[in-house]
Amino acid sequence: MNKSLYVLLFFLISGGSVFAIQDNFVNTSLADKNLERPYYQEKYNYEDTASVPVKLAVTNRVKSEKDLYEGQELEFRVTENVVYNHKILVRSGTSATARVETIIANGMNGIPASVILGDFKVGDLESSRLTMEYEKYGMDLSLFVYPLKWLLTPLPPTGSCTNFIKGGHVKFKENKEITIYYHPNWL
Amino acid sequence: MKIRKIILLCLMVIVSSIQISIASESSAERANSIQTRINSVAFDILNRNKIEKRIVFVYDEDGKKNLLTSDKTLTKREVIVYDDMYKAVENDDELAAMLAREISFAIRSFDGVCNGFLRSLQVKAAPKKYEIVADKRAVDYMVNAGYDPVALIIYIQKTAPQLRFDMISAHNLTSKRLAVIYEYIYTKYPYFLKNNQYINNKYYQNFLLTSSANRKMLEYKVKSNSKEKLDYE
Repeated sequence: MNKSLYVLLFFLISGGSVFAIQDNFVNTSLADKNLERPYYQEKYNYEDTASVPVKLAVTNRVKSEKDLYEGQELEFRVTENVVYNHKILVRSGTSATARVETIIANGMNGIPASVILGDFKVGDLESSRLTMEYEKYGMDLSLFVYPLKWLLTPLPPTGSCTNFIKGGHVKFKENKEITIYYHPNWL
Repeated sequence: MKIRKIILLCLMVIVSSIQISIASESSAERANSIQTRINSVAFDILNRNKIEKRIVFVYDEDGKKNLLTSDKTLTKREVIVYDDMYKAVENDDELAAMLAREISFAIRSFDGVCNGFLRSLQVKAAPKKYEIVADKRAVDYMVNAGYDPVALIIYIQKTAPQLRFDMISAHNLTSKRLAVIYEYIYTKYPYFLKNNQYINNKYYQNFLLTSSANRKMLEYKVKSNSKEKLDYE
């Protein structure tokens, strides 16, 4: 009686696993990769108000249109000493990196492209105390396009023609700084 | 005889009013417990992602999303969770998936000209583009808050209908959205696909079943080491 129950149980369990579709692509392409669960900050304490600006500039000029892809590491350099309590935390010229999190393409009606950067690594500063994300926009033409569209509405279809005006791409230039913040006492 | 009838009637009225008050109390308790659960997950997402913007979350038991009313996510930074949306949620990962998408919409209404008015207008003007952006950002927010992003695929698989085509629609094909999310997780957070806790989930299995053509495209892209944007079906 017991044996037949075990056999039945075995078939039920093995039957269940046979019917489940396996993700073979993931199984084969990621099999040999040693992956760790991405870090997340379980506990937090934002009581402290101190924040130190960290000014960065790219080492090579890049444009969102063709040079960037999601997940890419962008290289930066620190352009000014990072100082807290009269102590230099990071010297000017230190290299830094950021990950391209999301790229938003430019669109019709003057909507600009934008690039969201995250996972900043600057010298010995703890990444978890740095600004989590920074978004850089291209030239926003919608402020010009929307009024023009409304002005031209009485003369159809000229108003609709403004749909085809596209916003600008994002450009990171060597001489253009971006500022993120370091919160030295945040948990 | 008459007095007896009156007493009986009074008793019936009292009993029914007690029943009504008990029912409304239990309904209020249910709403309160759902609201508390929504707030707990939502504020974890906000805090763990260090989002320095104020967003509130309101559970609406009776309401349904109406196309004619203004979207409070963009105007008041108030995420309304309708019961229609909530009833498909099975666990905290799926709740986080739903909320993270709404948060990513709300965040876009803060920056830019007129305290974010123009950006909100852009989101409304290009809903297809920002739908994909919200999906991608939701994945990031979920991972940063300690939730499993695969739950976003499951939540959308269960709730979003499949349009015939998306050429002239304000929304993308759901299959396309799911493929983009899958690629995004594969590229940035492959850990969750390699150690997929939802692999035997029936909704995820249904996603695998219905997405084989799109996954083939991604497989080819990965093998050929291409960086091109895929045109999913």
